[in-house]
Amino acid sequence: MLRRIPWWLGGVLMALLLLFTFSIFGAGRPFGASTYVPYFSGILFNLDPEKYPYLKEVHNAGAWEGVMLLGALFGGFLTSVFVTKSFRITIMPTGWKKYKNNSIKSRLVWSFVSGFFLIIGARLAGGCTSGHFLSGMSQTAISSMIFGGVVLVSLIVTGKIFYKSEAQDD
Amino acid sequence: MIDRILEMFATVAQEPHGSIFTVFFIGFVFGVVVQYTRVDKFEKIAGFAMLKDTVVPKMLFLAIGLASIGLYYMIEAGYAHYHVKPIMLGGLIIGGTIFGIAMAIMGKCPGTGPISIAEGRIDVLVGAIGGVFGGLVFTVYYDQFKMIMGESLGKTTLVDIFEGNESLVVLVFGIALIVIALVIPLRQELDEADLKQLDE
Repeated sequence: MLRRIPWWLGGVLMALLLLFTFSIFGAGRPFGASTYVPYFSGILFNLDPEKYPYLKEVHNAGAWEGVMLLGALFGGFLTSVFVTKSFRITIMPTGWKKYKNNSIKSRLVWSFVSGFFLIIGARLAGGCTSGHFLSGMSQTAISSMIFGGVVLVSLIVTGKIFYKSEAQDD
Repeated sequence: MIDRILEMFATVAQEPHGSIFTVFFIGFVFGVVVQYTRVDKFEKIAGFAMLKDTVVPKMLFLAIGLASIGLYYMIEAGYAHYHVKPIMLGGLIIGGTIFGIAMAIMGKCPGTGPISIAEGRIDVLVGAIGGVFGGLVFTVYYDQFKMIMGESLGKTTLVDIFEGNESLVVLVFGIALIVIALVIPLRQELDEADLKQLDE
């Protein structure tokens, strides 16, 4: 069995999934994957939606993405165990060791901080890679093109500054 | 907490956006595609930030190019509708900048992160806990964040701007993105630890 699929097949499948999600036969809405986070924050910290207007705003989209996320976890888990054979418990990405450092503490602290700001950024912009890039640009939305351009620049500038350009040997 | 999780399912069941099964199925396929193409790996997004891996942009641009053309004709046929996000310059520019920085460091986005957790990545789980706190802060200080986001300048699309030539502009846009996806040179940063696993 094929252990990996090439990028073009992934792109075609992702386009079909997007079209199915948009269609009235599927969900009749765009695909998104960052609204579920504040929705779950509301559940985990037991925040009252009556007191926090944002929770009311994301109530329906958050629930939709929450159920979608359960499917994604399940699909990702089964594929990693049975198909790509990549399932294993690890803390340190190989690329971090190669281009940043060997410290687990450094990786975990940066993970926490970047995870925090990833969601702040996505919610400020009103979407993420899924909602803006995939769904938004497929609708030729100007807002999503602005987001896409800003993210590309910021991503590549950060990549240049934050990581070492050559792999370290140890 | 249990009652609110049950409420999540009830909300989806009441909404006209697909049955619980359909929504779960959409997520399932998303999880399979992301995992099967390995774009949930740190080396893919952080690798793209370092310009050492181009699988993510190639796949994204191809998917958007194909979907933009398909979606336009589906809408023309009455099988789908546009749901466009508003242009809020402060939110898009400040949010996009923060998002790009965080994505380069984390090596994941909010869609691929959970799939990496599903394959056992503890560092991403810690990132997700950070994300839940991010969601908390955004929810609690929403009024202040709204001031940063700014006024909505409308939900404009290329299709609106080029009224009269809609199908032409969509075809040009879609084909241009597909061409970009094809001409970006394929570079791959592989994880040796993963490859070792495959040999066994």
